[in-house]
Amino acid sequence: MVTTIRWMIKTAIQAASGGILAVAMLGVASTAQAAGELNLYNWGDYINPELLKKFEAQYDVKVNLDTYGTNEEMLAKIQAGATGYDIVFPSVHMHDIMFKLGLLWESKINEHPDFKNIDPDFIRAQTDPQGSWCLPYAWGTVGIVYNKTIVPEITGWDDFFAIPDQYGGKITMLDDLREVLGVGLIMNGHSVNSRDRAEIEQARDYILERKDKISAFTYDVIPLVQSGDIAASHWYVGAMYTVFEDPERLAYVVPKEGATMYQEDMCVLKSAPNKENAKLFLEFYLQPENPVLNVEQQMNGTPNVVAREMLPEKFKSHPGMNPSDEVMSKLQIFEDLGQDLRLYDRAWTQVRTQ
Amino acid sequence: MALAGTRKRVRLAGLLSPITILLTVFFIAPLSILLVYAFLEPGLYGGVVWNFYDQNFGRILGWADGYYEEFDPVYFSIFGRSFRLAITTVLISLLLCYPAALWVTSLSERWRSFFLFLITLPFFASLVVRLFAWVLILKPTGWINETLISIGMIVKPFDMLYTEGAVVLGMVYVFIPFMFLPLYASLEKLDRSLLEASGDLGAGRFKTFMRVTLPLSVPGMVGGSIIVFIPSLGNFIVPDLLGGAKVLMIGNLIEQQFLEARNWPFGSALAWMVMVAVLLFLLIYVTVVNRAEALQEQ
Repeated sequence: MVTTIRWMIKTAIQAASGGILAVAMLGVASTAQAAGELNLYNWGDYINPELLKKFEAQYDVKVNLDTYGTNEEMLAKIQAGATGYDIVFPSVHMHDIMFKLGLLWESKINEHPDFKNIDPDFIRAQTDPQGSWCLPYAWGTVGIVYNKTIVPEITGWDDFFAIPDQYGGKITMLDDLREVLGVGLIMNGHSVNSRDRAEIEQARDYILERKDKISAFTYDVIPLVQSGDIAASHWYVGAMYTVFEDPERLAYVVPKEGATMYQEDMCVLKSAPNKENAKLFLEFYLQPENPVLNVEQQMNGTPNVVAREMLPEKFKSHPGMNPSDEVMSKLQIFEDLGQDLRLYDRAWTQVRTQ
Repeated sequence: MALAGTRKRVRLAGLLSPITILLTVFFIAPLSILLVYAFLEPGLYGGVVWNFYDQNFGRILGWADGYYEEFDPVYFSIFGRSFRLAITTVLISLLLCYPAALWVTSLSERWRSFFLFLITLPFFASLVVRLFAWVLILKPTGWINETLISIGMIVKPFDMLYTEGAVVLGMVYVFIPFMFLPLYASLEKLDRSLLEASGDLGAGRFKTFMRVTLPLSVPGMVGGSIIVFIPSLGNFIVPDLLGGAKVLMIGNLIEQQFLEARNWPFGSALAWMVMVAVLLFLLIYVTVVNRAEALQEQ
């Protein structure tokens, strides 16, 4: 879901820069700082609006939501001195970066009695080993969504890349350099955070060898998978939203060879004008029924173990949404690579040019 | 005398200052920032480090950028492809628009207004929506393929979506009005008596077209071509949506540098290269138009 919006924002920027469409969509965070306010700066479509309404009713706090499309966009805005935001939702590696840049406020959320409900495996940020700064928010797998009327069953990447030859169907991958090259790294037995030039080139070659089989690199593909124009797509667990709507035709699988996962944390900013309300929101999100409300709409995972038990059975029993320990152990999460990101940028440009 | 001159100058300054300020603030200033950034070191987390850095432009030409690169003209080939696709777009839209514009000028006043209105009609809908409609038309189960299959012309769906052809089609579709309007303008103001004179002097319709109409519409053709060429060259929404991000153009590369690679200086350098290319084309335009006007005066 995150990426659909990311794509929409990207597209809107493109349209505006084309000078064709007047886009006035970037809402400005409320600068009025009345006592009862809370300003969230989150990925687009990454929180259930019902949850915000519930918080507003329960605490008589007015919640304002502003959205971004990428970690970099959010960081750039905060670094440029945007004030008025209380809580941001960075991915784990961005949580580390923001900590190093001194942009976060220590919420001491780990001292709350309900913090014991948080699965310690999800306190991932290297700079925040006790979870005293940010609260793990949500996570999900990145796998393959496919149309069962074209491909009866697939279990992993080898099956995925064999689809065009075997069934004549089309396949697409995400338009994301680290996700795509990550698949090449996984299939060669390397870490998705490799900084080794030879390994990254090997991953590039893996994708290049299959490039004529890949129809497109795109986010906007779920309707085409549903209609059968695309047989299978590299996509996020958020695809489950459509899979549950159309279970006869669609399925989502976490590849058996290994895959990536994403996780975002909820962090209070050092510049937050409403730190008390922000902490209140973090505590509110520790109550298990609230992550449940969120997950039911977002189709992703929660680090809250009590909330996990309360989820509907179809969520709990789905191997893509609630992977076994064995599958979990094969999931990798992206770390920040600093300057070495350039190795990936170069490889990605080559993949898309040759 | 002196007083009147001063007054005139003050009035002129008053009239010109809004547009001057607007252009300075929203056009010159951002361009200057871009130029400065193109010579700075990329920041680790986006942004720039204020150190002079001379490798951004060299990288475009293929020179190695420290440890991270080796000689590889990959960016050069992206420029090449962008030029090829932009020029193809210009030629196709010119071929489509010229006869149409010529025909519209021959109509009555009321019908002309109607067709001009039709040409601007697409602007009333969002570009993204219109392009996504093309995805639905071109996809394997879209109506083109379904029709061709049902009348038995093809057996398997024809691959149209996510190809270079789809990108050119999309750009021609988006930019046709920009070609049509300048062409129409130059054909409409064409002096009819010149055509009659040509006929009186014994030239056939084809010869009149080749010797009179065509040369006199050169400014419109060049103007339309430039206006189509510039946005085609830097386009990145069409290659993303219809090319499936497999057909990489300069616009996509610049976007990648700012949003994914966190390398603002390299993105700025690329943007400047596009600008220089566009300026070169404008120079050619001015030269050609001047020559055509000189011809007209003879």
